Amino acid sequence: MKFDLVIAGVGGQGNILASQVVAKCAMDAGYNVVNTETKGAAQRGGSVLSHVRIADGEIFSPLVPAGQADVLLGFEPLEALRYIGLLSKKGTFIINTAPVPTILANMKVDEYPSTEQIVAIIKDKGLAGHFLNATRAAKELGNVLLTNVVMLGALTAVSNVLSPDVILKKLLTMVDEKFHADDSRAFAVGRGLIGKEG
Amino acid sequence: MQKEFMLGNEAIARAAAESGVKVVAGYPGTPATEIVDLCGGYPGVYAEWSTNEKHAFEVATAASLTNQRSMAVMKHNGTNAATDFLMHVNFTGIRAGMVLITADDPGGLSSQCEEDTRILVHNYAHLPMFDPSSVQEAYAMTKAAFELSEKTELVFALRPVMRINHAGGMVEYGAAAPQSRPAEFVIDRKRFVMSAVVEKESGGELRPKMRHRWLNAKQDELRALMEASPFNRAEKAPGEVGFIGCGIGYAFLKEAERIHGAKLPILKLSTLPLPEGKVLDFVSGLKKVVVFEEVEPVVEKLIKELCFEHKVVLEVLGRSGYLPKEGELSTNLVLTAVEAALAGKPYPATVQGQYVSARTRTQCSGCSHRGLLVALKEVVRKNGGVVTGDIGCHDAGTFEPMNLQATIYCMGSSIPMAYGIKKAGFDKPVYALIGDSTFFHNGLTGLASAIYNGGDITVVIAYNSTTAMTGFQPHPGSANNLNQPVTPIDPGAVAAAMGAKVFRCNPYNVEETARVIGEATAETGVKVVIAEALCYLKFGREGKISFTPRQVAVDEAVCNGCGLCVRTFGCPAISLADNKAAIEPSGCNGCGVCVSVCKRGAIK
Repeated sequence: MKFDLVIAGVGGQGNILASQVVAKCAMDAGYNVVNTETKGAAQRGGSVLSHVRIADGEIFSPLVPAGQADVLLGFEPLEALRYIGLLSKKGTFIINTAPVPTILANMKVDEYPSTEQIVAIIKDKGLAGHFLNATRAAKELGNVLLTNVVMLGALTAVSNVLSPDVILKKLLTMVDEKFHADDSRAFAVGRGLIGKEG
Repeated sequence: MQKEFMLGNEAIARAAAESGVKVVAGYPGTPATEIVDLCGGYPGVYAEWSTNEKHAFEVATAASLTNQRSMAVMKHNGTNAATDFLMHVNFTGIRAGMVLITADDPGGLSSQCEEDTRILVHNYAHLPMFDPSSVQEAYAMTKAAFELSEKTELVFALRPVMRINHAGGMVEYGAAAPQSRPAEFVIDRKRFVMSAVVEKESGGELRPKMRHRWLNAKQDELRALMEASPFNRAEKAPGEVGFIGCGIGYAFLKEAERIHGAKLPILKLSTLPLPEGKVLDFVSGLKKVVVFEEVEPVVEKLIKELCFEHKVVLEVLGRSGYLPKEGELSTNLVLTAVEAALAGKPYPATVQGQYVSARTRTQCSGCSHRGLLVALKEVVRKNGGVVTGDIGCHDAGTFEPMNLQATIYCMGSSIPMAYGIKKAGFDKPVYALIGDSTFFHNGLTGLASAIYNGGDITVVIAYNSTTAMTGFQPHPGSANNLNQPVTPIDPGAVAAAMGAKVFRCNPYNVEETARVIGEATAETGVKVVIAEALCYLKFGREGKISFTPRQVAVDEAVCNGCGLCVRTFGCPAISLADNKAAIEPSGCNGCGVCVSVCKRGAIK
């Protein structure tokens, strides 16, 4: 068994927490786990990419090679596009369609592609997966910071490597108790979004 | 043995503690930073943030000479700063086991350059090095390095790369073992005084030559150790093309082998000097080898030399031309090279990837540097001045949209470069912009040089009381060191004592800051402006901030959508929507600096 997960997002989106939840669950299940993050100045609005590699045998490199990821979780569409080459032809993407504009695009010195353009580029690659608006779902739940939990819930609907109950329980051990009710709801909403996206 | 998930840096700190390290000194630098903090958490270990890497190296060496195991921790360009000491401690050797952590950053993911410190530490200083291929191996090598260092009386270096320091993996480990050996300093001037003195007993030779001979003689002992080292090993498979993986290059090679789907002849080389016997044995019968190493062709060239000496005819390919000469290795790069080499083809030309809109680094929302950058930019916009930059969070002022600092080299360069521009005859004002941690690291001597040589510049010190860039380590201008509260050394008091005219401002107040910088500019000589405000990201969490928070909003009746606030300011919370400035409340920390940027007064 091997399961390679990459999570692409922007600093502050809770990308690293989500990757740690998955890594810890896999360790509890007795798998070998290797992970790393590329987080150049993440706190300053930069791009953040987490790699989580799970296997029952030896894992050599901490980086998921291009074309080898089983799941790409894109917390942000441009970041998903940036790293889409990591996804295996047989893999699945889950991409949050809510953009976080770049400073250069705000300044009009660079172009932030439209969601339609990003969707078209990714679909053209013949990859399979789900586009959903996790940010909107989180806002409807009352807190945009729940976006990562929505995405984690969605992950459990496309992969059966780790059970949803195990992932949710692990997540709750890693956050303050006052967030437990909201996180549980966001997780269920995320799980429910798969298959219902339009 | 126990097993736990650890980051590479945790594994290195753990191994040092298990080896009985007593003194650990370093200066923060990605990717090595966490090691020092983590070492400080083990009982019986003294850990410190020294003001720079050279001093960290000196403190750690002194501990070793006092019979205590020690470790110096730095990133690659920190090792450059410590090179002067490196080129002497190699000649003297040490007493108790001592390890140098010199972390490299292939690809320059979080650095100003992507140099390979194996050249510095091994090829230049002739010291032994380990190059780990996994987190588990980083742990094992750190332990071995302490033992072998003590045995050979030489500093042993560990050269982890970003993908080791900041990777997590399962690590089998043992128990921490605080050592209680006596702290004794045995005076041995013939070893530990490096000077051009005549040695009577060697027939009148000078000491530097004698110690050089000692270091050269050590190389045979080191080669024998590396020959026996379990960190180097061959994996036999049929074929005339062999593959050599060094450090993390071995990890990528093993993964490429798995994807390739057939066993390859592989030699894992993780030490310098090389295990020459193992190399000669591996290449025997091969026509070609490809060497995968980060970043420079160090091992590749040593193998070529070895083959030449032993009259072995072998094609040796690697970073000197076959593979890309720059940047990080990857599984995909290695796999491509493996398949090309097996097919007898050249490595395919790199196809330029499609540009995906970049996400550049900027100051945090609420950062005091943004106010300082805007004020300084306003000053030089009017007077045509030039700003030399330095290392730290404020370096993002060189990118869009600030485009302020004109140079960035290394720690402390801003001040000598600023007065150098003036000495060359440049007739407009010149400013050096430097952070507080960097000022203490390598800015003090530059400031002394500027004052002593009659420079005419304005030095702006961004004094935010922490080393923010690397994750908030304290420095001499902070109110604590790694272990306890201390009285901060005020950079303004230091500059004044040196003879500079000192000015002060709060960078959250843009008008005041621009005015103060202007006043300083009007004076002659070396002026120092202390722009003092606590780092918002660090101290804001502790409830300490240097501004009065205010709810800012765009008055849409006044805003004409000119976009100045976006084009010149770069706060992540401000964007343009429907031709009006928009402030995202969840991203705004209420510093109010943007109010000064809008010339129409639309941000209130």
